[in-house]
Amino acid sequence: MLLEVKNLTIPTLDQKCVILNKVSFEVKEGSIHAIIGPNGSGKSTLAYTIMGLDNYKPSEGKIYFDGIDITPMKITERANLGITLAWQEPARIDGLSIPRYISLGIKDKANMKEEIIGALKIVNLEPERFMNRIIDEFLSGGERKRVELAAAVAMKPRLIILDEPDSGLDMIVIEDFMNIFNKIKELDMTILLITHREDIGMVADYGTLLWRGDALITDEFPKVMLRYCAKAGLKEFCKRTLFKNGGFCVDEDYIDRIFREEGQS
Amino acid sequence: MSNVEYPREILESLEDYNIDIRDFLPGHGKGAKLLLDFNKIRGMEDVDGVILKGREIENGIIADVIIKEGTKIEEPVHLCFGVNKETGIQEIFPRIIAEDNTDATVQAHCSFPKANGLIHKMFGHFYIGKNCNFTYSETHYHGENSGALVAPVGYVYVGENSVFENTFYLTRGTPGKVKIMIDIYAMKNSVIKSNIKAFGKCKNDSVRIRDSVFLEGENARSVIKMKAVAKDGGEVLMFGITEGNAPRCNGHVECSEIVLGKGSICRARPFIRAIDPTSSVSHEASLGRFPQKWLDELQAKGLTEEEATQILIEAMLQEER
Repeated sequence: MLLEVKNLTIPTLDQKCVILNKVSFEVKEGSIHAIIGPNGSGKSTLAYTIMGLDNYKPSEGKIYFDGIDITPMKITERANLGITLAWQEPARIDGLSIPRYISLGIKDKANMKEEIIGALKIVNLEPERFMNRIIDEFLSGGERKRVELAAAVAMKPRLIILDEPDSGLDMIVIEDFMNIFNKIKELDMTILLITHREDIGMVADYGTLLWRGDALITDEFPKVMLRYCAKAGLKEFCKRTLFKNGGFCVDEDYIDRIFREEGQS
Repeated sequence: MSNVEYPREILESLEDYNIDIRDFLPGHGKGAKLLLDFNKIRGMEDVDGVILKGREIENGIIADVIIKEGTKIEEPVHLCFGVNKETGIQEIFPRIIAEDNTDATVQAHCSFPKANGLIHKMFGHFYIGKNCNFTYSETHYHGENSGALVAPVGYVYVGENSVFENTFYLTRGTPGKVKIMIDIYAMKNSVIKSNIKAFGKCKNDSVRIRDSVFLEGENARSVIKMKAVAKDGGEVLMFGITEGNAPRCNGHVECSEIVLGKGSICRARPFIRAIDPTSSVSHEASLGRFPQKWLDELQAKGLTEEEATQILIEAMLQEER
């Protein structure tokens, strides 16, 4: 396993309650692993904790990366081990050029330009348009997200955490992003995909359902998605959108059983 | 005049700003130019539609730059005020006139790479006529010894329907003691954009900049943006003033400053005043450290906190292109 999260508990800053409650799951190397759950279930907290942000210290539990206990490590150490995060709303650091921003995590300084161009191409940004641009207010939200993704990919990390990469994007763009995720996977990078959208999760091999801070199930993604719909009581939605017309192949009896288990008719 | 002798140190000193001022030497490039080496005029070249005159005085020069009516120049007029000595006094009295319907850029480079007790003073007057598009850009380098005392004062009149863009960069090297005052008077329908960036790098650096815009004409508009970093005991004061003194004028002042290291001081004083009920003037100011989220984002790319901070300073003080 590339990533192992064991009994991870994250308290609120005042320590009065928990955001993540003894969460455990594993991520296989080379896979796309989705973390799904409704708003407020602790998905972004999990992403920040794995990345090692200062305000996200576990009160209990461990995180292992390639067998190494990274729990006490700082964000920079984790990044240098091969973990990075593409942020849900990346900051607009006005004044930096796009190539400069992408170059920050590139280790192969000798082939910097080629590496930057390669990263831009992976996220479908034309190098001829973006090699001379600055990060400023004229960059759209979608372009900024792609630049963030390019910077993460350029690092050639082993694990790339994508925190809600779909937020604020329209449907056509989301389709494109799903293709980009598959391209990243083909480059031998493992993706931990944080999302609350079932359609973007379709690219995932595996998933974990977070529900009010608990990890309820880790399994193949369709089964996790089905459990999510059952928890939310969305049977018709589930049948209509996820498991019909070229969606996931799960028979209706199985769907009915899962819904019954969750106390939903 | 293609073989002008000009101190190599001054020529090279602005390279960190990505400026190669050899491109501006007489005989090079197409623009008008005036090169001052301490108190001696080393080169002067004008072009069609631009009159350049300079006269040496005891401690410097009086210089006139006149863009003649209707002239539109693509190459900037270049003024280089260099001093390759540790001490001395350089005084500049420029008068810059853009007649009606002109389109021009004047770039001034003030470089004092060896300054250690050097005084540079400027007392400038700018007259921008009607329907002009005029940019004035000033880039400073004061060496690495915090050894300069620099005190420029500028008065700018911007005529009806004109756009005046002012940029001032003091972001490389150690500034020393710097006191700058700019007063801009904006007439009817004019637009003023003023962009100031400064870096007080150590305890012997003190930078005080007062940038004032007086919106005197109906529908005049302005934005002042002041950005500064004070580090390791450096001190920066940004004083941005906008007065709305005419109907339907609109102005905004923005100051953002970052404080790094012990003993550093940043101060921002946005001052706004409106005396016409249809005018609108606003300000915003922020002082302190870089947002933690920005640092986290860069550290997630493998940078240490110090490296991330350096990148953010670089971005904040980046010259506009």
